Amino acid sequence: MVYVRLFWIFLRVSVISEFQYRVNFFVQLFQSALALGTGLVAMSLVFSYTQNLAGWTQPELLAVMGVHIIVGGLIKTIIQPNMNRLIEDIQEGTLDFALTKPADAQAIISVREFRIWQLIDLVLGSVVLGYAISQLSTSLGWLSALAFAAAVLLGGLMIYSVWLMLSVGAFWIIRADNFLEIFDSLYQAGRWPVSIYPGWLKHTLTFVLPIAFAVTLPAETLARQLNGQNLLFAVGLTILLLVVSRLFWRFGLRHYTGASA
Amino acid sequence: MSQTIKVDTLIKTFQVPEREAGLKAAVGSLFKRKYREVEAVKKISFGIDAGEIVGFLGPNGAGKTTTLKMLAGLLFPTSGQIDVLGYEPQRREKELLRQITIVMGQRNQLMWDIPALDSFELQRAIYQIPEGEFRRMRDELIDLLSMGDLVKKPVRNLSLGERMKAEFISALLHRPKVLFLDEPTIGLDVTAQRLIREFVAAYNQRYQASVMLTSHYMADVQALCKRVIVIHHGQLLYDGGLAGLVEKFAAYKTIGVTLNDPDLDLSEYGEIISNSKGQVNLRVPKNATAQITTRLLNEVAISDLTIEDPAIDSIIEQVFQQEAQVV
Repeated sequence: MVYVRLFWIFLRVSVISEFQYRVNFFVQLFQSALALGTGLVAMSLVFSYTQNLAGWTQPELLAVMGVHIIVGGLIKTIIQPNMNRLIEDIQEGTLDFALTKPADAQAIISVREFRIWQLIDLVLGSVVLGYAISQLSTSLGWLSALAFAAAVLLGGLMIYSVWLMLSVGAFWIIRADNFLEIFDSLYQAGRWPVSIYPGWLKHTLTFVLPIAFAVTLPAETLARQLNGQNLLFAVGLTILLLVVSRLFWRFGLRHYTGASA
Repeated sequence: MSQTIKVDTLIKTFQVPEREAGLKAAVGSLFKRKYREVEAVKKISFGIDAGEIVGFLGPNGAGKTTTLKMLAGLLFPTSGQIDVLGYEPQRREKELLRQITIVMGQRNQLMWDIPALDSFELQRAIYQIPEGEFRRMRDELIDLLSMGDLVKKPVRNLSLGERMKAEFISALLHRPKVLFLDEPTIGLDVTAQRLIREFVAAYNQRYQASVMLTSHYMADVQALCKRVIVIHHGQLLYDGGLAGLVEKFAAYKTIGVTLNDPDLDLSEYGEIISNSKGQVNLRVPKNATAQITTRLLNEVAISDLTIEDPAIDSIIEQVFQQEAQVV
Protein backbone atom coordinates (compact mmCIF):
# COMPACT_ATOMS: atom_id res chain seq x y z
CA MET A 1 0.00 0.00 0.00
CA VAL A 2 1.48 3.26 -1.19
CA TYR A 3 0.14 5.42 1.61
CA VAL A 4 1.47 3.19 4.36
CA ARG A 5 4.91 3.48 2.78
CA LEU A 6 4.55 7.23 2.49
CA PHE A 7 3.57 7.38 6.15
CA TRP A 8 6.68 5.46 7.17
CA ILE A 9 9.01 7.53 5.04
CA PHE A 10 7.61 10.78 6.39
CA LEU A 11 7.93 9.37 9.89
CA ARG A 12 11.52 8.33 9.27
CA VAL A 13 12.44 11.70 7.84
CA SER A 14 10.78 13.51 10.75
CA VAL A 15 12.66 11.38 13.25
CA ILE A 16 15.94 12.20 11.53
CA SER A 17 15.28 15.92 11.69
CA GLU A 18 13.87 15.84 15.23
CA PHE A 19 16.99 14.15 16.52
CA GLN A 20 18.96 17.21 15.51
CA TYR A 21 17.11 19.15 18.17
CA ARG A 22 17.69 16.97 21.21
CA VAL A 23 17.24 19.89 23.58
CA ASN A 24 13.57 19.79 22.67
CA PHE A 25 13.36 16.42 24.38
CA PHE A 26 14.31 17.89 27.73
CA VAL A 27 12.17 20.98 27.27
CA GLN A 28 9.23 18.73 26.48
CA LEU A 29 9.96 16.47 29.44
CA PHE A 30 9.97 19.46 31.77
CA GLN A 31 6.81 20.90 30.26
CA SER A 32 4.92 17.61 30.47
CA ALA A 33 5.98 16.97 34.05
CA LEU A 34 4.88 20.47 35.01
CA ALA A 35 1.47 20.01 33.38
CA LEU A 36 1.02 16.67 35.11
CA GLY A 37 2.01 18.14 38.47
CA THR A 38 -0.48 21.02 38.28
CA GLY A 39 -3.20 18.61 37.14
CA LEU A 40 -2.61 16.33 40.12
CA VAL A 41 -2.60 19.24 42.56
CA ALA A 42 -5.91 20.52 41.19
CA MET A 43 -7.44 17.08 41.52
CA SER A 44 -6.25 16.53 45.09
CA LEU A 45 -7.69 19.95 45.96
CA VAL A 46 -11.09 18.90 44.66
CA PHE A 47 -11.00 15.62 46.56
CA SER A 48 -9.97 17.27 49.81
CA TYR A 49 -13.54 18.64 49.87
CA THR A 50 -15.59 15.78 48.45
CA GLN A 51 -15.40 12.05 47.81
CA ASN A 52 -16.92 12.18 44.39
CA LEU A 53 -17.47 14.68 41.61
CA ALA A 54 -20.79 14.33 39.77
CA GLY A 55 -20.65 10.59 40.35
CA TRP A 56 -16.97 10.16 39.45
CA THR A 57 -14.60 8.75 42.06
CA GLN A 58 -11.01 9.83 42.35
CA PRO A 59 -9.44 6.84 40.51
CA GLU A 60 -12.00 7.26 37.75
CA LEU A 61 -11.11 10.91 37.37
CA LEU A 62 -7.46 9.99 37.39
CA ALA A 63 -8.17 7.62 34.51
CA VAL A 64 -9.84 10.47 32.60
CA MET A 65 -6.78 12.60 33.24
CA GLY A 66 -4.48 9.83 32.00
CA VAL A 67 -6.48 9.48 28.79
CA HIS A 68 -6.54 13.23 28.41
CA ILE A 69 -2.75 13.32 28.53
CA ILE A 70 -2.42 10.37 26.13
CA VAL A 71 -4.82 11.79 23.54
CA GLY A 72 -3.29 15.25 23.98
CA GLY A 73 0.12 13.70 23.26
CA LEU A 74 -1.18 12.05 20.11
CA ILE A 75 -2.70 15.33 18.96
CA LYS A 76 0.55 17.17 19.52
CA THR A 77 2.60 14.43 17.85
CA ILE A 78 0.66 14.13 14.62
CA ILE A 79 -2.46 16.25 14.22
CA GLN A 80 -1.34 19.65 15.42
CA PRO A 81 2.02 19.83 13.58
CA ASN A 82 0.45 18.75 10.29
CA MET A 83 -2.42 21.18 10.56
CA ASN A 84 -0.09 24.04 11.50
CA ARG A 85 2.05 23.18 8.50
CA LEU A 86 -1.05 23.18 6.29
CA ILE A 87 -2.03 26.66 7.42
CA GLU A 88 1.54 27.85 6.96
CA ASP A 89 1.63 26.36 3.46
CA ILE A 90 -1.64 28.04 2.55
CA GLN A 91 -0.32 31.38 3.77
CA GLU A 92 2.99 31.08 1.98
CA GLY A 93 1.84 29.37 -1.19
CA THR A 94 4.02 26.32 -0.66
CA LEU A 95 0.91 24.15 -0.69
CA ASP A 96 1.42 24.19 -4.47
CA PHE A 97 4.04 21.49 -4.03
CA ALA A 98 1.70 19.14 -2.20
CA LEU A 99 -1.07 19.77 -4.71
CA THR A 100 1.05 18.94 -7.75
CA LYS A 101 2.02 15.49 -6.49
CA PRO A 102 0.48 12.35 -7.99
CA ALA A 103 -0.85 11.20 -4.64
CA ASP A 104 -3.88 12.14 -2.61
CA ALA A 105 -3.16 15.66 -1.38
CA GLN A 106 -5.16 15.20 1.82
CA ALA A 107 -3.13 12.12 2.68
CA ILE A 108 0.12 13.98 2.07
CA ILE A 109 -0.76 17.03 4.12
CA SER A 110 -1.96 14.86 6.99
CA VAL A 111 1.22 12.86 7.59
CA ARG A 112 4.08 15.18 6.72
CA GLU A 113 5.13 16.15 10.22
CA PHE A 114 5.76 14.23 13.41
CA ARG A 115 6.88 15.74 16.70
CA ILE A 116 8.22 12.64 18.29
CA TRP A 117 9.29 14.29 21.54
CA GLN A 118 5.61 14.91 22.24
CA LEU A 119 5.29 11.17 22.70
CA ILE A 120 6.60 11.76 26.23
CA ASP A 121 2.99 12.60 27.04
CA LEU A 122 1.99 9.20 25.78
CA VAL A 123 4.31 7.59 28.31
CA LEU A 124 3.32 9.88 31.19
CA GLY A 125 -0.37 9.49 30.41
CA SER A 126 -0.04 5.70 30.33
CA VAL A 127 1.62 5.75 33.75
CA VAL A 128 -1.19 7.85 35.20
CA LEU A 129 -3.80 5.65 33.55
CA GLY A 130 -2.08 2.46 34.76
CA TYR A 131 -1.98 3.74 38.32
CA ALA A 132 -5.65 4.79 38.15
CA ILE A 133 -6.69 1.35 36.96
CA SER A 134 -4.74 -0.36 39.74
CA GLN A 135 -6.76 1.73 42.23
CA LEU A 136 -10.05 0.68 40.71
CA SER A 137 -12.00 -2.29 42.04
CA THR A 138 -12.96 -3.58 38.62
CA SER A 139 -10.64 -5.96 36.84
CA LEU A 140 -9.70 -5.34 33.26
CA GLY A 141 -10.49 -7.79 30.48
CA TRP A 142 -9.14 -8.06 26.96
CA LEU A 143 -12.40 -6.85 25.60
CA SER A 144 -12.34 -3.54 27.43
CA ALA A 145 -8.67 -3.04 26.53
CA LEU A 146 -9.56 -3.52 22.89
CA ALA A 147 -12.59 -1.27 23.20
CA PHE A 148 -10.34 1.33 24.81
CA ALA A 149 -7.87 1.24 21.93
CA ALA A 150 -10.72 1.51 19.43
CA ALA A 151 -12.24 4.43 21.34
CA VAL A 152 -8.91 6.31 21.37
CA LEU A 153 -8.45 5.70 17.65
CA LEU A 154 -11.98 6.87 16.86
CA GLY A 155 -11.52 9.92 19.07
CA GLY A 156 -8.27 10.76 17.33
CA LEU A 157 -9.90 10.51 13.90
CA MET A 158 -12.77 12.74 15.00
CA ILE A 159 -10.42 15.39 16.32
CA TYR A 160 -8.40 15.15 13.13
CA SER A 161 -11.52 15.74 11.03
CA VAL A 162 -12.65 18.73 13.05
CA TRP A 163 -9.17 20.21 13.06
CA LEU A 164 -8.86 19.72 9.31
CA MET A 165 -12.10 21.59 8.74
CA LEU A 166 -10.89 24.46 10.92
CA SER A 167 -7.56 24.56 9.07
CA VAL A 168 -9.24 24.51 5.68
CA GLY A 169 -10.83 27.78 6.81
CA ALA A 170 -7.42 29.24 5.97
CA PHE A 171 -8.31 28.97 2.28
CA TRP A 172 -10.69 31.86 2.85
CA ILE A 173 -9.46 33.77 5.85
CA ILE A 174 -5.71 33.03 5.62
CA ARG A 175 -5.15 33.73 9.34
CA ALA A 176 -6.71 30.55 10.74
CA ASP A 177 -4.30 30.38 13.67
CA ASN A 178 -6.86 31.93 16.01
CA PHE A 179 -9.33 29.13 15.38
CA LEU A 180 -6.85 26.61 16.59
CA GLU A 181 -6.28 28.42 19.84
CA ILE A 182 -9.96 28.11 20.62
CA PHE A 183 -9.62 24.40 20.05
CA ASP A 184 -6.67 24.21 22.39
CA SER A 185 -8.43 25.92 25.29
CA LEU A 186 -11.52 23.77 24.82
CA TYR A 187 -9.35 20.68 24.82
CA GLN A 188 -8.14 21.68 28.28
CA ALA A 189 -11.74 21.31 29.43
CA GLY A 190 -11.51 17.62 28.53
CA ARG A 191 -9.31 17.01 31.55
CA TRP A 192 -12.55 16.50 33.49
CA PRO A 193 -15.34 14.18 32.37
CA VAL A 194 -17.69 16.18 30.16
CA SER A 195 -20.70 15.07 32.20
CA ILE A 196 -19.72 17.46 34.98
CA TYR A 197 -20.21 20.50 32.76
CA PRO A 198 -23.45 22.46 32.22
CA GLY A 199 -25.58 21.46 29.24
CA TRP A 200 -24.41 23.91 26.58
CA LEU A 201 -20.74 23.24 27.22
CA LYS A 202 -21.34 19.51 27.45
CA HIS A 203 -23.00 19.51 24.03
CA THR A 204 -20.25 21.62 22.51
CA LEU A 205 -17.63 19.26 23.88
CA THR A 206 -19.55 16.27 22.60
CA PHE A 207 -20.67 17.20 19.13
CA VAL A 208 -18.87 20.32 17.98
CA LEU A 209 -15.42 19.44 19.24
CA PRO A 210 -15.80 15.76 19.98
CA ILE A 211 -13.72 15.75 23.15
CA ALA A 212 -16.32 13.69 24.95
CA PHE A 213 -15.68 10.95 22.43
CA ALA A 214 -11.94 11.40 22.35
CA VAL A 215 -11.31 11.46 26.10
CA THR A 216 -14.29 10.69 28.27
CA LEU A 217 -15.51 7.71 26.28
CA PRO A 218 -12.17 5.83 26.21
CA ALA A 219 -11.75 6.48 29.93
CA GLU A 220 -15.25 5.21 30.55
CA THR A 221 -14.66 1.97 28.68
CA LEU A 222 -11.73 1.29 30.99
CA ALA A 223 -12.74 2.72 34.35
CA ARG A 224 -16.44 1.96 34.29
CA GLN A 225 -17.96 -0.49 31.95
CA LEU A 226 -17.96 -0.92 28.25
CA ASN A 227 -20.95 0.81 26.73
CA GLY A 228 -21.42 -0.83 23.34
CA GLN A 229 -24.05 1.64 22.28
CA ASN A 230 -21.79 4.65 22.83
CA LEU A 231 -18.94 2.97 21.00
CA LEU A 232 -21.17 2.21 18.05
CA PHE A 233 -22.35 5.79 18.04
CA ALA A 234 -18.69 6.89 18.04
CA VAL A 235 -18.04 4.74 14.96
CA GLY A 236 -20.95 6.38 13.16
CA LEU A 237 -19.89 9.89 14.12
CA THR A 238 -16.29 9.22 13.09
CA ILE A 239 -17.34 8.08 9.63
CA LEU A 240 -19.62 11.07 9.27
CA LEU A 241 -16.92 13.53 10.30
CA LEU A 242 -14.34 11.92 8.02
CA VAL A 243 -16.67 12.20 5.05
CA VAL A 244 -17.74 15.75 5.82
CA SER A 245 -14.18 16.96 6.39
CA ARG A 246 -13.07 15.32 3.14
CA LEU A 247 -15.83 17.08 1.24
CA PHE A 248 -14.97 20.36 2.93
CA TRP A 249 -11.29 19.93 2.06
CA ARG A 250 -12.14 19.42 -1.60
CA PHE A 251 -14.49 22.36 -1.53
CA GLY A 252 -11.74 24.47 0.02
CA LEU A 253 -9.25 23.45 -2.67
CA ARG A 254 -11.46 25.02 -5.30
CA HIS A 255 -11.03 28.29 -3.49
CA TYR A 256 -7.30 27.99 -3.11
CA THR A 257 -5.63 30.77 -5.01
CA GLY A 258 -2.21 30.43 -3.47
CA ALA A 259 -0.11 33.31 -2.29
CA SER A 260 1.10 34.96 -5.47
CA ALA A 261 4.82 35.16 -6.04
CA MET B 1 5.89 17.77 -33.75
CA SER B 2 3.14 17.16 -31.22
CA GLN B 3 1.86 19.83 -28.92
CA THR B 4 2.16 19.13 -25.22
CA ILE B 5 0.36 22.26 -24.03
CA LYS B 6 -2.68 23.79 -25.66
CA VAL B 7 -4.42 26.84 -24.25
CA ASP B 8 -7.57 28.19 -25.84
CA THR B 9 -9.22 31.52 -24.91
CA LEU B 10 -8.28 31.13 -21.28
CA ILE B 11 -9.90 33.53 -18.83
CA LYS B 12 -9.41 33.84 -15.09
CA THR B 13 -11.23 36.36 -12.97
CA PHE B 14 -10.73 36.79 -9.25
CA GLN B 15 -13.18 38.15 -6.73
CA VAL B 16 -11.21 40.66 -4.78
CA PRO B 17 -12.59 42.19 -1.59
CA GLU B 18 -12.65 45.90 -1.99
CA ARG B 19 -12.30 48.33 0.81
CA GLU B 20 -11.05 51.77 1.43
CA ALA B 21 -8.10 52.57 3.63
CA GLY B 22 -8.62 53.54 7.23
CA LEU B 23 -9.90 52.04 10.44
CA LYS B 24 -13.57 52.77 9.84
CA ALA B 25 -13.56 50.99 6.51
CA ALA B 26 -11.64 48.08 8.02
CA VAL B 27 -14.25 47.62 10.75
CA GLY B 28 -17.05 47.99 8.22
CA SER B 29 -15.58 45.29 6.02
CA LEU B 30 -15.88 42.83 8.89
CA PHE B 31 -19.60 42.76 8.33
CA LYS B 32 -20.24 43.83 4.79
CA ARG B 33 -17.76 43.14 2.09
CA LYS B 34 -17.81 44.59 -1.36
CA TYR B 35 -16.25 42.53 -4.08
CA ARG B 36 -14.72 43.63 -7.29
CA GLU B 37 -14.00 41.37 -10.23
CA VAL B 38 -10.46 41.45 -11.47
CA GLU B 39 -9.62 39.85 -14.78
CA ALA B 40 -6.14 38.44 -14.25
CA VAL B 41 -6.02 36.56 -17.55
CA LYS B 42 -8.01 37.69 -20.56
CA LYS B 43 -8.59 35.30 -23.45
CA ILE B 44 -5.11 33.91 -23.86
CA SER B 45 -4.40 31.22 -26.44
CA PHE B 46 -1.17 29.49 -27.35
CA GLY B 47 0.37 26.09 -27.90
CA ILE B 48 3.73 24.59 -26.95
CA ASP B 49 5.48 21.71 -28.69
CA ALA B 50 7.31 18.82 -27.14
CA GLY B 51 10.93 19.74 -26.60
CA GLU B 52 10.30 23.45 -26.81
CA ILE B 53 11.55 26.00 -24.25
CA VAL B 54 9.32 29.03 -24.14
CA GLY B 55 10.02 32.21 -22.20
CA PHE B 56 6.95 33.60 -20.52
CA LEU B 57 7.47 37.30 -20.04
CA GLY B 58 5.56 40.12 -18.47
CA PRO B 59 5.90 42.62 -15.64
CA ASN B 60 4.80 41.76 -12.10
CA GLY B 61 1.05 41.28 -11.98
CA ALA B 62 0.75 40.61 -15.71
CA GLY B 63 -0.89 37.24 -15.12
CA LYS B 64 2.15 35.00 -15.62
CA THR B 65 1.93 33.14 -12.33
CA THR B 66 -1.86 32.85 -12.60
CA THR B 67 -1.47 31.25 -16.03
CA LEU B 68 1.28 28.90 -14.85
CA LYS B 69 -0.86 27.86 -11.89
CA MET B 70 -3.78 27.06 -14.13
CA LEU B 71 -1.50 25.00 -16.38
CA ALA B 72 -0.26 23.08 -13.34
CA GLY B 73 -3.82 22.44 -12.16
CA LEU B 74 -3.57 24.64 -9.07
CA LEU B 75 -6.23 27.11 -10.15
CA PHE B 76 -9.55 26.55 -11.84
CA PRO B 77 -9.93 28.59 -15.03
CA THR B 78 -12.99 30.83 -15.14
CA SER B 79 -13.49 29.81 -18.75
CA GLY B 80 -11.54 28.52 -21.71
CA GLN B 81 -9.75 25.25 -22.40
CA ILE B 82 -6.40 23.94 -21.21
CA ASP B 83 -4.91 20.71 -22.43
CA VAL B 84 -1.62 19.45 -21.01
CA LEU B 85 -0.44 16.09 -22.38
CA GLY B 86 -4.05 15.26 -23.17
CA TYR B 87 -5.38 16.04 -19.69
CA GLU B 88 -7.35 18.85 -18.17
CA PRO B 89 -4.99 20.06 -15.43
CA GLN B 90 -7.66 21.28 -12.98
CA ARG B 91 -8.90 17.69 -12.63
CA ARG B 92 -5.51 16.93 -11.13
CA GLU B 93 -5.34 13.37 -12.40
CA LYS B 94 -2.40 11.36 -11.15
CA GLU B 95 -1.42 10.33 -14.67
CA LEU B 96 -0.83 13.98 -15.54
CA LEU B 97 0.78 15.00 -12.26
CA ARG B 98 3.30 12.19 -12.68
CA GLN B 99 4.53 13.85 -15.90
CA ILE B 100 4.82 17.48 -14.89
CA THR B 101 6.86 19.42 -12.39
CA ILE B 102 6.94 22.89 -10.94
CA VAL B 103 10.01 24.71 -9.67
CA MET B 104 9.67 28.05 -7.93
CA GLY B 105 12.75 30.12 -7.21
CA GLN B 106 11.18 31.77 -4.22
CA ARG B 107 9.80 28.66 -2.55
CA ASN B 108 11.43 25.46 -1.49
CA GLN B 109 10.08 22.01 -1.06
CA LEU B 110 13.14 20.26 0.29
CA MET B 111 13.12 19.66 4.01
CA TRP B 112 15.29 22.10 5.81
CA ASP B 113 16.89 19.95 8.49
CA ILE B 114 17.79 16.82 6.58
CA PRO B 115 20.11 16.09 3.66
CA ALA B 116 18.59 16.48 0.20
CA LEU B 117 19.34 12.81 -0.37
CA ASP B 118 16.71 11.86 2.22
CA SER B 119 14.17 14.21 0.67
CA PHE B 120 14.77 12.49 -2.66
CA GLU B 121 13.58 9.22 -1.12
CA LEU B 122 10.35 10.95 -0.28
CA GLN B 123 9.90 11.95 -3.91
CA ARG B 124 10.56 8.37 -4.94
CA ALA B 125 7.78 7.14 -2.68
CA ILE B 126 5.31 9.80 -3.81
CA TYR B 127 5.99 9.29 -7.51
CA GLN B 128 6.40 5.52 -7.08
CA ILE B 129 9.59 5.46 -9.12
CA PRO B 130 11.12 1.97 -9.42
CA GLU B 131 14.34 1.66 -7.40
CA GLY B 132 16.75 1.12 -10.32
CA GLU B 133 15.29 3.91 -12.42
CA PHE B 134 15.34 6.22 -9.42
CA ARG B 135 19.01 5.63 -8.69
CA ARG B 136 20.02 6.07 -12.31
CA MET B 137 18.09 9.32 -12.66
CA ARG B 138 19.23 10.66 -9.29
CA ASP B 139 22.91 10.03 -9.99
CA GLU B 140 22.59 11.43 -13.48
CA LEU B 141 21.07 14.66 -12.17
CA ILE B 142 23.59 14.97 -9.34
CA ASP B 143 26.29 14.56 -11.95
CA LEU B 144 24.77 17.06 -14.40
CA LEU B 145 24.64 19.68 -11.67
CA SER B 146 27.99 18.63 -10.18
CA MET B 147 26.45 18.43 -6.73
CA GLY B 148 28.63 15.52 -5.56
CA ASP B 149 28.52 14.96 -1.81
CA LEU B 150 26.61 18.19 -1.18
CA VAL B 151 23.40 16.17 -1.31
CA LYS B 152 24.49 14.53 1.94
CA LYS B 153 24.61 17.82 3.85
CA PRO B 154 21.51 19.15 5.61
CA VAL B 155 19.78 21.55 3.24
CA ARG B 156 20.02 24.42 5.70
CA ASN B 157 23.83 24.28 5.41
CA LEU B 158 23.77 24.75 1.63
CA SER B 159 24.26 28.05 -0.17
CA LEU B 160 21.32 29.52 -2.07
CA GLY B 161 22.70 28.27 -5.38
CA GLU B 162 23.37 24.77 -4.07
CA ARG B 163 19.90 24.63 -2.58
CA MET B 164 18.34 25.57 -5.90
CA LYS B 165 20.32 22.85 -7.64
CA ALA B 166 19.07 20.33 -5.09
CA GLU B 167 15.52 21.60 -5.67
CA PHE B 168 15.95 20.92 -9.37
CA ILE B 169 17.14 17.38 -8.77
CA SER B 170 14.21 16.72 -6.48
CA ALA B 171 11.74 18.16 -8.99
CA LEU B 172 13.06 16.13 -11.93
CA LEU B 173 13.58 12.69 -10.38
CA HIS B 174 10.38 11.42 -11.97
CA ARG B 175 11.57 12.58 -15.39
CA PRO B 176 8.72 14.98 -16.16
CA LYS B 177 7.76 15.83 -19.74
CA VAL B 178 6.52 19.30 -18.89
CA LEU B 179 8.42 21.75 -16.67
CA PHE B 180 6.99 24.94 -15.21
CA LEU B 181 9.86 27.07 -13.97
CA ASP B 182 8.83 30.21 -12.12
CA GLU B 183 11.83 32.51 -11.63
CA PRO B 184 14.21 29.60 -11.03
CA THR B 185 17.34 31.74 -10.93
CA ILE B 186 16.07 34.54 -8.73
CA GLY B 187 18.64 35.77 -6.23
CA LEU B 188 21.42 33.52 -7.51
CA ASP B 189 24.89 34.71 -8.39
CA VAL B 190 25.99 34.81 -12.02
CA THR B 191 27.82 31.47 -11.91
CA ALA B 192 24.93 29.62 -10.33
CA GLN B 193 22.53 31.21 -12.82
CA ARG B 194 24.63 30.00 -15.71
CA LEU B 195 24.84 26.51 -14.25
CA ILE B 196 21.08 26.28 -13.84
CA ARG B 197 20.59 27.55 -17.39
CA GLU B 198 22.96 24.97 -18.83
CA PHE B 199 21.27 22.31 -16.80
CA VAL B 200 17.78 23.19 -18.03
CA ALA B 201 19.06 23.18 -21.62
CA ALA B 202 20.72 19.77 -21.10
CA TYR B 203 17.61 18.24 -19.53
CA ASN B 204 15.44 19.64 -22.31
CA GLN B 205 17.73 18.17 -24.98
CA ARG B 206 18.07 14.81 -23.33
CA TYR B 207 14.41 14.17 -22.57
CA GLN B 208 12.66 16.37 -25.14
CA ALA B 209 10.71 18.03 -22.34
CA SER B 210 8.60 21.14 -22.83
CA VAL B 211 9.69 24.00 -20.60
CA MET B 212 7.79 27.14 -19.68
CA LEU B 213 10.10 29.61 -18.05
CA THR B 214 9.34 32.90 -16.37
CA SER B 215 12.28 35.02 -15.43
CA HIS B 216 13.17 38.62 -14.88
CA TYR B 217 16.68 37.92 -16.07
CA MET B 218 16.88 38.43 -19.79
CA ALA B 219 20.10 36.44 -19.84
CA ASP B 220 18.06 33.36 -18.89
CA VAL B 221 15.61 33.98 -21.68
CA GLN B 222 18.27 34.74 -24.28
CA ALA B 223 20.27 31.65 -23.40
CA LEU B 224 17.35 29.23 -23.33
CA CYS B 225 14.34 30.42 -25.30
CA LYS B 226 14.02 30.63 -29.05
CA ARG B 227 10.43 31.64 -28.54
CA VAL B 228 8.82 34.02 -26.10
CA ILE B 229 5.26 34.75 -25.08
CA VAL B 230 4.73 38.23 -23.70
CA ILE B 231 1.67 39.03 -21.63
CA HIS B 232 0.68 42.29 -20.06
CA HIS B 233 -2.48 43.19 -18.14
CA GLY B 234 -3.60 39.61 -18.72
CA GLN B 235 -3.46 39.92 -22.49
CA LEU B 236 -1.18 38.27 -24.97
CA LEU B 237 1.02 40.92 -26.53
CA TYR B 238 3.43 38.83 -28.50
CA ASP B 239 4.07 35.18 -29.31
CA GLY B 240 7.01 34.33 -31.51
CA GLY B 241 10.77 34.26 -31.92
CA LEU B 242 12.99 36.27 -29.67
CA ALA B 243 14.50 37.99 -32.72
CA GLY B 244 11.02 38.92 -33.93
CA LEU B 245 10.31 40.60 -30.61
CA VAL B 246 13.21 42.95 -31.24
CA GLU B 247 12.03 43.47 -34.81
CA LYS B 248 8.49 44.23 -33.77
CA PHE B 249 8.94 46.37 -30.71
CA ALA B 250 12.28 48.10 -31.11
CA ALA B 251 11.39 51.48 -32.49
CA TYR B 252 15.01 52.64 -32.46
CA LYS B 253 18.44 51.50 -33.43
CA THR B 254 21.76 52.59 -32.05
CA ILE B 255 24.39 53.93 -34.42
CA GLY B 256 27.90 53.99 -32.98
CA VAL B 257 30.47 56.18 -34.72
CA THR B 258 34.13 56.93 -34.10
CA LEU B 259 34.90 60.51 -35.16
CA ASN B 260 38.17 61.78 -36.52
CA ASP B 261 37.38 65.12 -34.87
CA PRO B 262 36.20 64.42 -31.29
CA ASP B 263 34.67 67.89 -30.87
CA LEU B 264 32.12 67.54 -33.66
CA ASP B 265 28.47 67.89 -32.65
CA LEU B 266 26.20 65.14 -34.05
CA SER B 267 22.97 66.10 -32.32
CA GLU B 268 21.32 67.06 -35.63
CA TYR B 269 21.52 63.38 -36.73
CA GLY B 270 19.90 61.76 -33.71
CA GLU B 271 19.69 61.64 -29.93
CA ILE B 272 23.14 61.35 -28.37
CA ILE B 273 23.13 58.56 -25.78
CA SER B 274 26.83 58.70 -24.98
CA ASN B 275 29.91 60.56 -26.10
CA SER B 276 33.43 59.88 -24.94
CA LYS B 277 36.46 61.15 -26.80
CA GLY B 278 34.87 60.91 -30.20
CA GLN B 279 33.10 57.56 -29.53
CA VAL B 280 29.48 58.64 -30.03
CA ASN B 281 26.32 56.52 -29.69
CA LEU B 282 23.25 57.87 -31.41
CA ARG B 283 19.67 56.72 -31.02
CA VAL B 284 17.74 56.97 -34.27
CA PRO B 285 14.26 55.90 -35.38
CA LYS B 286 14.45 52.45 -36.91
CA ASN B 287 12.95 53.38 -40.28
CA ALA B 288 15.35 56.30 -40.67
CA THR B 289 18.47 54.26 -39.93
CA ALA B 290 19.57 53.77 -43.53
CA GLN B 291 19.04 57.39 -44.44
CA ILE B 292 20.90 58.75 -41.42
CA THR B 293 23.76 56.32 -41.94
CA THR B 294 24.17 57.50 -45.51
CA ARG B 295 24.16 61.13 -44.41
CA LEU B 296 26.73 60.46 -41.70
CA LEU B 297 29.06 58.70 -44.11
CA ASN B 298 28.74 61.49 -46.68
CA GLU B 299 28.89 64.52 -44.42
CA VAL B 300 31.16 63.61 -41.49
CA ALA B 301 34.72 62.33 -41.28
CA ILE B 302 34.30 58.93 -39.60
CA SER B 303 36.82 56.18 -38.94
CA ASP B 304 34.30 53.53 -37.86
CA LEU B 305 30.52 52.96 -37.81
CA THR B 306 28.31 50.26 -36.27
CA ILE B 307 24.52 49.72 -36.20
CA GLU B 308 22.99 47.80 -33.30
CA ASP B 309 19.61 46.83 -31.97
CA PRO B 310 18.97 47.98 -28.43
CA ALA B 311 19.47 45.45 -25.61
CA ILE B 312 16.55 43.08 -25.15
CA ASP B 313 15.77 44.16 -21.59
CA SER B 314 15.43 47.76 -22.64
CA ILE B 315 13.01 46.73 -25.38
CA ILE B 316 10.94 44.70 -22.98
CA GLU B 317 10.90 47.56 -20.53
CA GLN B 318 9.82 49.90 -23.27
CA VAL B 319 7.02 47.58 -24.38
CA PHE B 320 5.62 47.36 -20.86
CA GLN B 321 5.78 51.12 -20.42
CA GLN B 322 4.06 51.81 -23.71
CA GLU B 323 1.21 49.49 -22.92
CA ALA B 324 0.79 50.90 -19.46
CA GLN B 325 0.27 54.31 -20.98
CA VAL B 326 -2.27 53.07 -23.50
CA VAL B 327 -4.44 51.21 -20.98
